[in-house]
Amino acid sequence: MLSILIWLPVAAALVGALIPLQRAGGLLALGGALGALGIAIALIAGYSGHGYAHVTDVVWIRSLGIHYALAVDGLNLFLVALTTFSFALAIAAANIRDWPRPRVFYLLFALAESAVLGAFLAQDLALFVAFFDLMLIPFYLLLGVWGGPGRVAATLKLVIYTFVGSLLMLAAAIALAVLTSEHSGQPLSFALTTLAANPLHKGSQEWIFLLFAAAFLVKMPAFPLHGWMPDAYREMPLEVLAVFSGVLSKVGAYGFLAIALPIMPLAAVHFQTLILVLALCSIIYGSAMAFTQTNARLIAGYSSVAQLGFITLGIFAFAPQGAQGAVLQMVNHGLVVAPLFLIIGVLAARAGGSDDIRDMGGIAFRAPVLATFFLIVAFATLAMPGSGNFVGEFLILLGLFKTKMVFSIIAFGGVVMASVYALRLFIRAMHNRVGPKVASGEMSLRNALVLAPFIGAILLFAIYPQLQLHRSESTVTGSIVREQIDTGQNVRVAELTGLPAGWIAYGPNAETTIATGGANK
Amino acid sequence: MIAAALIHPHGPYIDWAALSPLVALVGGSVVVLMVGLLRSRFARTQVVPFLTLVSLGVTIGFVIWQWHRHVAAISGALAFDQLTGTITLLVAAGGIAATLLSWRGQAPRESAHGDFYSMMLGSITGMVVLVAAQNLVTLFVGLELLSIPLYVLCATEMHRAASLEAGLKYLIVGSVGSATLVYGLALIYGATGSTDFSGIAGSISQGHSSDVLLLTGIALLTVGLAFKASIAPFHQWTPDVYEGAPTPVTAFMAVATKAAAFGVLLRVFDVMLPAEHLNWRPALLVLAAISIVVGNVGALGQSSLKRLLGYSSVAQAGYILAGVAVATTLGARATILYLVVYLLMNIAAFGAIVARERMTPYGDDFDAVAGLGAEDPWLAWPLTIAMLALAGVPATAGFIGKFFLIDALVGAGYTWLAILIVVGSMISLGYYLRVINAVWMRSAPGPSASAAAGVPVIAGGSPEADALGQTHIELRFAAVVFGGATVFFGIVPQPLFDLAQHAANTLSGAL
Amino acid sequence: MTIAWYLAVSALIFAIGVGGVLVRRNPLVVLLCLELMLNAANLALIGFSRMWGNDDGQIFALIVMVVAACEVTVGLGVIVAMHRHRLPIDVDSMRELQG
Repeated sequence: MLSILIWLPVAAALVGALIPLQRAGGLLALGGALGALGIAIALIAGYSGHGYAHVTDVVWIRSLGIHYALAVDGLNLFLVALTTFSFALAIAAANIRDWPRPRVFYLLFALAESAVLGAFLAQDLALFVAFFDLMLIPFYLLLGVWGGPGRVAATLKLVIYTFVGSLLMLAAAIALAVLTSEHSGQPLSFALTTLAANPLHKGSQEWIFLLFAAAFLVKMPAFPLHGWMPDAYREMPLEVLAVFSGVLSKVGAYGFLAIALPIMPLAAVHFQTLILVLALCSIIYGSAMAFTQTNARLIAGYSSVAQLGFITLGIFAFAPQGAQGAVLQMVNHGLVVAPLFLIIGVLAARAGGSDDIRDMGGIAFRAPVLATFFLIVAFATLAMPGSGNFVGEFLILLGLFKTKMVFSIIAFGGVVMASVYALRLFIRAMHNRVGPKVASGEMSLRNALVLAPFIGAILLFAIYPQLQLHRSESTVTGSIVREQIDTGQNVRVAELTGLPAGWIAYGPNAETTIATGGANK
Repeated sequence: MIAAALIHPHGPYIDWAALSPLVALVGGSVVVLMVGLLRSRFARTQVVPFLTLVSLGVTIGFVIWQWHRHVAAISGALAFDQLTGTITLLVAAGGIAATLLSWRGQAPRESAHGDFYSMMLGSITGMVVLVAAQNLVTLFVGLELLSIPLYVLCATEMHRAASLEAGLKYLIVGSVGSATLVYGLALIYGATGSTDFSGIAGSISQGHSSDVLLLTGIALLTVGLAFKASIAPFHQWTPDVYEGAPTPVTAFMAVATKAAAFGVLLRVFDVMLPAEHLNWRPALLVLAAISIVVGNVGALGQSSLKRLLGYSSVAQAGYILAGVAVATTLGARATILYLVVYLLMNIAAFGAIVARERMTPYGDDFDAVAGLGAEDPWLAWPLTIAMLALAGVPATAGFIGKFFLIDALVGAGYTWLAILIVVGSMISLGYYLRVINAVWMRSAPGPSASAAAGVPVIAGGSPEADALGQTHIELRFAAVVFGGATVFFGIVPQPLFDLAQHAANTLSGAL
Repeated sequence: MTIAWYLAVSALIFAIGVGGVLVRRNPLVVLLCLELMLNAANLALIGFSRMWGNDDGQIFALIVMVVAACEVTVGLGVIVAMHRHRLPIDVDSMRELQG
């Protein structure tokens, strides 16, 4: 089942690439992505809320003890759904435009989806590393071939940063497995459960953890390893950027939660402060940059840096609420940032192809539907109370407040800054004076059809975050339980269960907020 | 009785079955040379390479037939075991690829087809002898039988100064290597009184270890082999010769010579000198480290694809040497596995490069592959895959090879070298990606494929046969098959592991 | 005489050969120096053969001679080919390939 989920997109696109019809590639890739989305929804519906489901475990390389092991748990379930959802819509959005060499384009797009899904589902460290590295290749080519004018330099930066991280992680993964096998006297194994069951001693954990952390922080991107981000975001085709920013950055955060913390608990505790400081720097730096930039893509990009900072804070709070919030926020951020980039694409098309917010503006009245969508997205970005992001950020800050109060107080500042840049982006792009070259108009039906599901999903998670929280709870708590013991906390797991339930009460409120948002036009 | 004895004199027993791969190669070499003398142009240009392929195919068949036998042939001078078998398969595959690459090329045309392919088969024979060698004399004979035809092959594009110079340069450097090696062998013989590997190993374990004579001998032997395997700092000839030699020959040198050289390194260090490992291991580790750094840094600024691959081969030699240096069974397996992988990736790359040399007027410059992605995906993909694999990206065999090497290094406690391999791979991205950038992100410089200027002689085009825009079906075939194999074994690597395990079993007694 | 003297001479010849390869510019002389290196090895081999009282070294030396002849033949062939193309017969002036 999971194998089908992973390989369906690329298989469909491969068929599309071989059929000698120009449009077949795009449509088949879309079909594959939708199929994967369907499977993902089925997975969510069928997940019980505890342990692993749909376990696939086949020996891949016997001599190295590497397994082709896939499974769904509460942690990756919604990330998988997010991936299939974003990719399906991004591929749909890409179908609206014409691309040079479409077959290769969609093949790479679908390959990217397969690789990301593989990374989320892998339950074997070697398999995870393989998928983690593999997903770079399609994005590298997508950026390099179909990107903007400065694409070659951007590609080089992107690849050097991310590959360096990946290769370090490769070395770290092998070292981890080999040392674990020596330490425990068992045969070489890369299975995550085995590695987590036999932790290394502290010294080895620490350097291995740093190598993993470097790879994950680059991918997120987090300050100060975000150097590749501005160039890549400026040049990447927007449809690709939507999934790149929406999904790929989550793989880094997911890596922390699923791999680094369970396997290297001592090191995670040891470096907690360092990572928290980096996360705070990301929030402040990202927010500050976001409201000085004028390029809409970069505003969204730097806001991602800040948001990923929040997620990291949540993970490294080592409190169940924080981790829960982080997982929720990963999905929420993906749901918000992907449509944001697609909207920027629509706006740029009306502003003579410019991504600069100084060239936009004054569209809101002529394109009310677009404006409504944008406003919802913008409010979600700034974590307006009632939005899913608010729940996520609140949980993160709550978790952090319990363990590291100072950090959470500083992080509150980030929440305020988020509202500044999100509103600035919205106001400058939609209201204000009409831009010089703006050819205003409502977006086309096809664009609306692509955006509407995103808006729907944002609203769904705003009203009903339980959908995710219930399912991810036991796994997420499990993945940080050892850190809690190590940091000397005595948090009862049950304490958590009462909390999310309270948020249901905010459901109606959320609707009102959005309704007012719409009425504001 | 007496009459019967006279009719059937008791010569030494010869195990023809074990020798059959060698017989096929030598026989093929002679037949090819003879057929090359025929007057018919068809016989010379088509039958000769075909017979070469047949000979190599038969060799492979014999190796598979003899796979499970471990025989010491010719009074123990040659050992036909699974290590020999594996390396024979590799060099034969390299030979097949080189034959395909030079089928309609310039080099055989200029040097007479029979001679060209006959020398290639001779060189392959030398490689087999070298890897099978069980004593110092056969080692030397194998090495020279490998080298001398290669010197000639490098110089076969005779109208081209670079090719002749490459030949002479390789000859001089290679002979210095051989002479150093012979002197080292002489000293080892002097220290132990035996030319036999097992005799030497026995003598060392009986208390001749750390003898000055022996250590000097080992040092000189290492230097000699390092010249052949292009290990830094004995690599200076590599980029020059790679660039100057005809490209199919470069491909052949890159993959087959390397396989044979590392086969014999495994044999020498892990069979003949295991007792001395405390003395040679640090030296080999340092050589590996130097090669990784020098090769990767040297490749960065190159504008010729062949020079780039030359430096890259130095770096790759460093990776492979690391596997030899750790002197564990796992290390030996990783070495063999990487050799297989290295062959696949390089042939795929060279196939595409040779094709572009013949199709464009830019020789092996980066311009030759610019815009290839749009123009010719059947060449662009193998080249891209090869570059990604050389850099060690997942879903290619290169990833598996590197993974296994790092695994072996960490397992033996050499994490620092594993990290260095990783650092080297990062640097290598800097130049492998330049190739991919050229393929996909640049547009072809001018009207390339239909250039009215015609193909200059350097590119191996000749007006009579090589019409521009010809399809070069055999080049495509080689590139696609080897590129496909690179991906296939990246996803299903278990067969490679099994092969490497078989081959390394031969050595496991000594390790 | 002990083996040490033979070894000393052989080492001296080898060193002369290496020096010649490194400093001389005419490829013919370089080939000559290569021969010196190989013959130094031969001398050592025969000396050791005498010392150990077995024939292995002598056989080895014979084979080295054969191979040396082959190498020189090929080397001379390439040099003649270069001469025909009026390329400068000077190792240092080979400008076609840097290095």
